[in-house]
Amino acid sequence: MSPAALLTRLLHLIPVLLGVTVVVFLMMAATPGDPAEVMLAGQQATPAQVAALRHDMGLDRPPLERFGLFVGHAVRGQFGQSLFHRRPVAQVIAERLPATIELSLAALVFALVVAIPLGVLAAVKRGGWLDRAATFGTLLGVSLPGFWFGILLLIGFAVQWRLLPVSGEIDYDAQPPGVTGFLLVDSVLAGRLDSLLNTLAHLALPAITLGLPMAAILMRVTRSSMLDVLRQDYITFAEAKGLSRGRVLLVHALKNALLPTVTVAALETGALLGGNMVVETVFGWPGLGRLVVESIFVRNYPLVQAAVLLYAVTFVLLNFCADLLYTILNPRVRM
Amino acid sequence: MRNNAAFIAFFAACLAAAPLAAGAAELRIGFTSDPLTLDPANHRSRETETIIRLIYSGLAANALDMTVVPDVAKSWQWIDPKILQVTLRDGVKFQGGETMTADDVVYSFTRLLKEGAVGGQTSPRKGLLGPVTEVAKVDDRTVRFVLSEPWPVLPAMLTFQEVVSKDFTEKVGTPGLATQADGTGSFGLVQWRRGDSLVLERFPGFFGGPSDIPPAGKACVDRVIVKIIPENAARVAALLAGDVDLINDLPAHDIRTVEANANTRVAAVNGTRTFFVALNNGKKPFDDVRVRQAANYAVDRQVIIDRILNGRAAALNGVMSPAAFGFNPDLPAYGYDPAKAKELLAEAGYANGIDVMLDTDGPQKDTAEAIASLLTRAGIRTKVQVGEAAQLRARWAPDGTRDGDMWISSWGNGSLDPTDIFVPTLRTKDRGNAAGYANPEVDKLLDAAGLETDQAKRAELYRDAQAIVNRQAPWIFLWLPQDLYGASKRLVGWQPLASGMLNLRDACVR
Amino acid sequence: MSGIAVLGRIRLSYLVVAVFVAMAVLAPIIAPHDPADSDLFRRLQPPFWMAGGEAGFPLGCDALGRDILSRIIFGTRISILVGVVVVSAATVIGVLAGLAAGYLRGWVDVVVSWMTDVLLGFPYLIFAIGLMAMMGPGLLNMVFALAYKEWVVPCRVVRGETLAARETEYVEAARALGASRRFIMLREVLPNILAPVLAVATIRVAQVIILEASLSFLGLGVQPPTASWGSMIADGRGYILDAWWVSTFPGVAILLLVLAINLAGQVRRRDDHG
Repeated sequence: MSPAALLTRLLHLIPVLLGVTVVVFLMMAATPGDPAEVMLAGQQATPAQVAALRHDMGLDRPPLERFGLFVGHAVRGQFGQSLFHRRPVAQVIAERLPATIELSLAALVFALVVAIPLGVLAAVKRGGWLDRAATFGTLLGVSLPGFWFGILLLIGFAVQWRLLPVSGEIDYDAQPPGVTGFLLVDSVLAGRLDSLLNTLAHLALPAITLGLPMAAILMRVTRSSMLDVLRQDYITFAEAKGLSRGRVLLVHALKNALLPTVTVAALETGALLGGNMVVETVFGWPGLGRLVVESIFVRNYPLVQAAVLLYAVTFVLLNFCADLLYTILNPRVRM
Repeated sequence: MRNNAAFIAFFAACLAAAPLAAGAAELRIGFTSDPLTLDPANHRSRETETIIRLIYSGLAANALDMTVVPDVAKSWQWIDPKILQVTLRDGVKFQGGETMTADDVVYSFTRLLKEGAVGGQTSPRKGLLGPVTEVAKVDDRTVRFVLSEPWPVLPAMLTFQEVVSKDFTEKVGTPGLATQADGTGSFGLVQWRRGDSLVLERFPGFFGGPSDIPPAGKACVDRVIVKIIPENAARVAALLAGDVDLINDLPAHDIRTVEANANTRVAAVNGTRTFFVALNNGKKPFDDVRVRQAANYAVDRQVIIDRILNGRAAALNGVMSPAAFGFNPDLPAYGYDPAKAKELLAEAGYANGIDVMLDTDGPQKDTAEAIASLLTRAGIRTKVQVGEAAQLRARWAPDGTRDGDMWISSWGNGSLDPTDIFVPTLRTKDRGNAAGYANPEVDKLLDAAGLETDQAKRAELYRDAQAIVNRQAPWIFLWLPQDLYGASKRLVGWQPLASGMLNLRDACVR
Repeated sequence: MSGIAVLGRIRLSYLVVAVFVAMAVLAPIIAPHDPADSDLFRRLQPPFWMAGGEAGFPLGCDALGRDILSRIIFGTRISILVGVVVVSAATVIGVLAGLAAGYLRGWVDVVVSWMTDVLLGFPYLIFAIGLMAMMGPGLLNMVFALAYKEWVVPCRVVRGETLAARETEYVEAARALGASRRFIMLREVLPNILAPVLAVATIRVAQVIILEASLSFLGLGVQPPTASWGSMIADGRGYILDAWWVSTFPGVAILLLVLAINLAGQVRRRDDHG
């Protein structure tokens, strides 16, 4: 891709991000309910005190002014104070972000680890029992409501059989020293097997619940693209040349078959960020998704605005990366 | 960084040198929500205060029977209706090592009162100090609260504030105080993983807590781990699985499961949150007192309390809880009498019944539907409408649209004083007066009681006001639920407090 | 795969969908009880095969003593209605918008593309929650909140296909013959690009049914006493430790319907590709 095209694509992001900011601001402004009243709900406070709190939160300014202030600060990386935590929004979000990222990545890895081998095998042994079982399994994966399935897993594995912990990220005694903020990485860096296993035990259920629909989708994509590739002439040619089936598969077919899988994975990871909140709620995972939903309900405007902007940026960048990846990996496609 | 590395030097040294010895007692708590902040002056949430009170102490605290007792204060007295003089205890130490003096107390309360004193913003807890205008130091062991008008309830309101260290706060600033702590409470902060857990360690230099609460001594457990588990089923599951020793906010219907489990038990205390159905007194049909009374006769409160709340609530005939100041025990109950309800409706001109809507938020949905079906059987055909809490509040505010008929709602009364609940919910046009009840006689009684310093007279004024309200039935009177906790049978030395605070001072896990 | 096996697969999934549709249509006739009839003395009654259950309430009762089977039957209406209406409306809007954007290009394309990009930037549930907080809960608002974002994907697909189809011979021929733009768009281009959209439509219906359940789960769904499967699961999640049936049976219902829809859609697609 030429640098000019790259730049054009990047510049294209700006009106989109502006649009997102405007939409979320308008939505929050049009939503009835007042954060000051929510904060003082059911507690004694005079109308003067409520008004003082609203003033303190900066809510008595006209909406246009508030919007201007928000955008002006946002471009400088400042997103105001969380109305309830009364600390900078950027700080509150940054504290919860690693947990969400870790969960999303764990779900992604789970999905890939399950989907790719299954997809390849299903394609290779097309029509066999494995193919049919895998296809059915994937349909099951996209048909399960995550919150229901998650609760059942929780009751089964955590309560009934006591195999896995009920909630949280890690037990206190198993914590590795915090270097990156990502528990898995820190465990490996510190060389602590107990931390790693403890984190994985806590991650298992939420990651599986979150990653199952994605695994289903990716398996189908892998299978169908593998089938397409296997039909290609150059595969037949390679086999005719006398190369072993295994080598043909791994070296030639897989590389090309994985291309759609990777691009779809990049796109779906964006969707993972959105699917987080239900799983985080059920499993008590201390991530951003749960925080954002709670913030919408209590009308914590600055936090919702900043979080949505963050999601939008991430999603748009992921889209962009997917396109880029596609271009790089498939030289026949030109932007 | 989410990984709070703000070790207080004292604890860091302990941990580095000697890891927790085997057999040392650890108490794990499953708690409903993450504290918003650790700054005692910068929040307005009861759950946040519960956690903060493990680390910090205040001038006053609640005993088990909710009487107000001195905590880091030694005593207080009104030297003037507008001046409260407080004498401080000796030998109260902060976890960082300093000794608490009057300077810390003055600093803490000035921070609460002054505009813009909390990181450029005003403390949201300022309103809890009412007409207090300043706190002045008299000497190293004495401070004075100066008020703009008499406010007899001030000592009770002091249970909602905590004392911070002047030196520490000036050193780390308001941003630092949100995530680091240096308090005078029984436990010191070791780590706070946002949204996940807090780890606290026993403070050996703890002054012992309120001497009025026997037995006064140091904490028995060495470490407290607070795990944040917002999902009800998961929290109860954690208790049943033995992952935690204590949980708060136990849902009423899980009582049987917890009691049936060999290792767990239920702990309960009469709560301080009154539940009621506000009727729209300004709109037909509930502008007629007979219709309102009919609604009260139509609801069989006992069956709802027995079936949905598992018997864990006390039916109320007014707004005050039995433990509150000035409670009137002689209020007549309306009782369950659907025939009488129909009679009253006919008298008021609604012989064919009426059609109304009952607003509710998600958590109260079950109760609302049960009430609706009882009302419908008595001729008050009710449809339930579930809304979002924030939206409903806006709609039912005195200056809101107020187009609903009924709203099942609640109001807390942590101080157990009428000024905190009777006034906001039933005084004409006050903030919490969703019913739109306007009675000048009641207003006069409430205003007079607010200024009356003779406690006996004050109580009588409130009793009279309650009697009037009971007769006029601006609400469907409901109940006062108990606060329910689940605990491991190994947990001893702990009792639940109606204020919602967790006093872990004497708690032990055997 | 043998023809008989395929045939068997088709029939089973179509049959299941048909059964659910029949349940929705005939609900008042086949439901054993009134789904809104609450009896506190039946609160959390177990299914008939467990101690304390009775045959008249085969799947047990919920927290307000209402028959779960009846509520599941009536809940079918909500799920199917929401799924079908949302996807149909969204597909129509999306197709028209995508067609206009792809064929007319110019400022129409710029505006439509910008709108789709902005909407895609929001995580699905957050946008729906935000919209519903703004408009209030309820069935109609929920349909609106779900459709609002659903139109984006068909729009993008159709736009892409239209852009490609624009340059084909049959379109050029039509233009040469002097046909109006609208005529070309609707009569020539549209039929040829619908295939991928329709192919995905069944999957989208299934997804929307689950999304409706998620919204109800978060408290933003239908109003009581209307039964929707999602709100039934949500209502029951507090009782899951001892009254598991309240959440589990509606969850199974969602699973069966969505699975059947997905299976039926998949088989049809395989047929299309011959």
